[in-house]
Amino acid sequence: MKNNPLSFSVNLKINRNQNQILSFDFWIVLSVIVLCFFGLAMIYSASNSLEMTVRQGIYLFVGLVGMFFLAFSNFRQMEVFYLHSFWPALFLLVIVLFFPSENSETKRWIDLGLFTFQPSELIRFILPISAASFLTRNLKTEMKDMWLVILLTFLCFYLVAIQPDLGTSLIVLLAGMLPVIISGFPWVYIYSGAFLGILSLPIIWLNLYEYQKQRVLTLFNPEADIYGAGWNIVQSKIAVGSGGLFGKGFLNGSQSQLNFIPESHSDFIFSVIAEEFGLAGVCMLLFVYGILIFRLLLVAFRSTNRFAKIVSGTLSIVLLAYISINISMVIGILPVVGMPLPFLSQGGTALIVNLLTIGIILSLRKEV
Amino acid sequence: MSSFENKKDSNEVFRIIVFLSPFIFLLFFAFLQILNLSYFQADDFKTQSESNRLYQSKIFPQRGFIYDSNDVLLVENNIQQDLQINPNIIENPSFFLKQISDLLELNYSKIESDFFIRATGKNPNEPYFLIKNLSEKQIAKISVNLEKIKGAEIISSFSRNVIHKEIMAPVLGYVGNISKQEIFNNPELTKYSGLKVGKTGIEKDLDSILRGDIGFRIQERDSFGKLVRNISIEPPKKGKNLRLSIDLELQKKLFYDFKGRKGALVAIEPKTGLIRALISSPTYDPNLLNTINDYDEVRNLFSDQDSPLFNRALSGQYPPASTLKPFVGMAALEAKTISWEKEILDSGEYLVEGDQRPYRGWKEGGHGKVDMNKAIIESSDVYFYSLAYDLTINNLSPFLEKFGFGEQSGLTIREGTGILPSRKWKLGYIGESWFKGDTINMGIGQGYITATPLQIAVAYSALANKGELVQPRIIEKIGEENTETVIKKNISLIDDLNWKRIEKSLLGVVEASNGTANNIYDRNIRIAGKTGTAQVKSIIETEYELLRVDKSLRDHALFVGYGPVEEPKLVVVAIIENGESGSAVAAPLVRKAINLYSKK
Repeated sequence: MKNNPLSFSVNLKINRNQNQILSFDFWIVLSVIVLCFFGLAMIYSASNSLEMTVRQGIYLFVGLVGMFFLAFSNFRQMEVFYLHSFWPALFLLVIVLFFPSENSETKRWIDLGLFTFQPSELIRFILPISAASFLTRNLKTEMKDMWLVILLTFLCFYLVAIQPDLGTSLIVLLAGMLPVIISGFPWVYIYSGAFLGILSLPIIWLNLYEYQKQRVLTLFNPEADIYGAGWNIVQSKIAVGSGGLFGKGFLNGSQSQLNFIPESHSDFIFSVIAEEFGLAGVCMLLFVYGILIFRLLLVAFRSTNRFAKIVSGTLSIVLLAYISINISMVIGILPVVGMPLPFLSQGGTALIVNLLTIGIILSLRKEV
Repeated sequence: MSSFENKKDSNEVFRIIVFLSPFIFLLFFAFLQILNLSYFQADDFKTQSESNRLYQSKIFPQRGFIYDSNDVLLVENNIQQDLQINPNIIENPSFFLKQISDLLELNYSKIESDFFIRATGKNPNEPYFLIKNLSEKQIAKISVNLEKIKGAEIISSFSRNVIHKEIMAPVLGYVGNISKQEIFNNPELTKYSGLKVGKTGIEKDLDSILRGDIGFRIQERDSFGKLVRNISIEPPKKGKNLRLSIDLELQKKLFYDFKGRKGALVAIEPKTGLIRALISSPTYDPNLLNTINDYDEVRNLFSDQDSPLFNRALSGQYPPASTLKPFVGMAALEAKTISWEKEILDSGEYLVEGDQRPYRGWKEGGHGKVDMNKAIIESSDVYFYSLAYDLTINNLSPFLEKFGFGEQSGLTIREGTGILPSRKWKLGYIGESWFKGDTINMGIGQGYITATPLQIAVAYSALANKGELVQPRIIEKIGEENTETVIKKNISLIDDLNWKRIEKSLLGVVEASNGTANNIYDRNIRIAGKTGTAQVKSIIETEYELLRVDKSLRDHALFVGYGPVEEPKLVVVAIIENGESGSAVAAPLVRKAINLYSKK
């Protein structure tokens, strides 16, 4: 580790125990902080609302506190806590269906007065950690444990899907299945599962809501209904394309400033970045994301602990899934599903959960 | 143990990489798409984003005003307030429409159908007019509630208003949206789209002057169509004002005397060619067409059997009938086929060798022995049959051509040309050779010859001017520039005395006790004139009673007069369709016109 030229480590002494040295990846912390503050700036540009930006800043502060708390924690001591935190998270997922916030037509948020909270974001974070903890209880993972995790994953998937929130439910599915797969689920079952999944596509299609079908169809021909279903995609592509090489400048993107991009501060924030900072800005952004994902994966690759491997592997893949799906949807190569861009999109629960993810992976790093 | 762990370890890393790879591929693919959008297609998208943001809107100019010769305003521009809606801002269309219909007390289903017809397939950013021509009450109600009905806006525009409606309609015409045909004929009109252009009348003839120039406003608007800021403004140019030669007061009084009868009247100042009154009846309300709000009424107007939109004064082609006789007489004097004093016996009918059919005069038993003076005063047909027969068409046609028969007077391209028949004309148009009988009919202004009231007025102006043929004008002033008298030609006679002779006879028509228009004699003002009765159809006597019943087949009554004879101020032609007797119905109109105008 010390010979690796790519990493420079900060050695922090913990007062409690002079011998315990936490080596902690500065690259990860730096890239996350860069992304988060860039996100704040972009939210301001997209919304022109200082209130919304300050609000997001508060979430960021809370998230960073949580991140550092977890980063400094001993994950071995926390494992039991992780294992059991699944149940309260599942409970919240049920609660939201009965007491959703009245501000929305969907049942995604719980209204806590001062702020709203999204249980589905929590479950896609808690589920893989507690699953990993459960699966690595013993030295060898048992098949019946795996089946139990799969069963609970499908339960969570279902509960999120009926909110309805197609994007997050698929992420929950991914986040729940990955620990099982990484911990050694037989390939035969994985193949058959994938095969079954493909076979069930027509059934899934028939069970989609009309607006969801419309979004898929729009993907193939957005110009068919420029002012209707295709509007978001057409306007977002115009924003990305018109940004050109170097963009129109911060706060100067006409597509975003004049409200042509829908949800520009949340799911479509990438098109604002592309419009105002151009291809150069996009490359910079992808570069920072690249460093982050690479450093997160290194934790998985280097760790000797199975729990650490599974958790960091799963959470890194989920993070990359968010990034790649969000960007693909904004530029019109995937259907529009509600999926925020990690660390950048406006949204408190997602930001805090993403920072906690980083915090946990940082804590796992001690085992490297 | 160690080897087992290692195997297990690589297995986990392998699985992580396997499930990571689809998302790396997706991201790579996304990057290629971003490269495509923001590098290879950047210019295209930059243009699209500009057109998203920038709105070029036209600022329509105010059309020029039109005044009468005494600077009385004839046409003005009213400010019309329309309800414009911006569909992009409307969140709940049916609620929005319900509010509008309640507020304005309008039928909901009609508004709804208008809304959905306009809304389908259109750019939701593009605002359009939902309700046109709001009343004051409606404007007030909307203004108060503007906050509640988000997406509605009151937009002012100009609408053309002809103040004296029917009275001035045939002169002024009306305006309307530019049609495809008009653009085809004049591609330059495309840049005036959205503007109303003249469809007929002065509005059409001088459209390019009245129209003005469109201004432009470039604005930045957001996706709701809300104005962010004005970027540049090029103000519109108002159209030029016009002053017509029409004397509104004269026109008005004469119009009321028509009492809705079908016909036309043209009053020209012979020295200048200025038209002081121009009436075509029946007429229409041009404001109905200027602001088409009620389609039913417009449809009725176009399908009216009396064709109120047809301008009889300029385009109505009537047989000049006896009003042609002075010219026929003058042609014969000039050709020396007859002398002023030569008398011919009018026994009531005229017979030609080899023609079985007798040519009848209007008066049974005839006028006895008549010279040219008496023939004009009493309007002897037989005298002029004989004159025309001796003169032949080859002499008659060219002489009439000098007075402008058979060609447009030059007032407007919308005029009729009338027909001045000749041998060549008949062969070309009818496909028959010229018969002597045709010449005989033409001697009394019947048969193939037709002329518009305007042409007759121009021809008589030349008589009043003793030779000067002026081009009629109706525009006195364009902007600040006065128009000038155009003398088209000076008709010279071999014997100048013939002007006096003909004028003397025309005076006799009114002043002599046996004159056909003696009924309008007025000792205070000397009027020279000629009556005419244009046959709608050649009549066999037994059918005459039948004709009395069917009004549309009755003869047209004509009278042309000018006066005061000492210094002619006005030449007036009046035609009353199916009015039968020129002296009874048309002559009083002419006298009134000359009386009114000379008193000025």
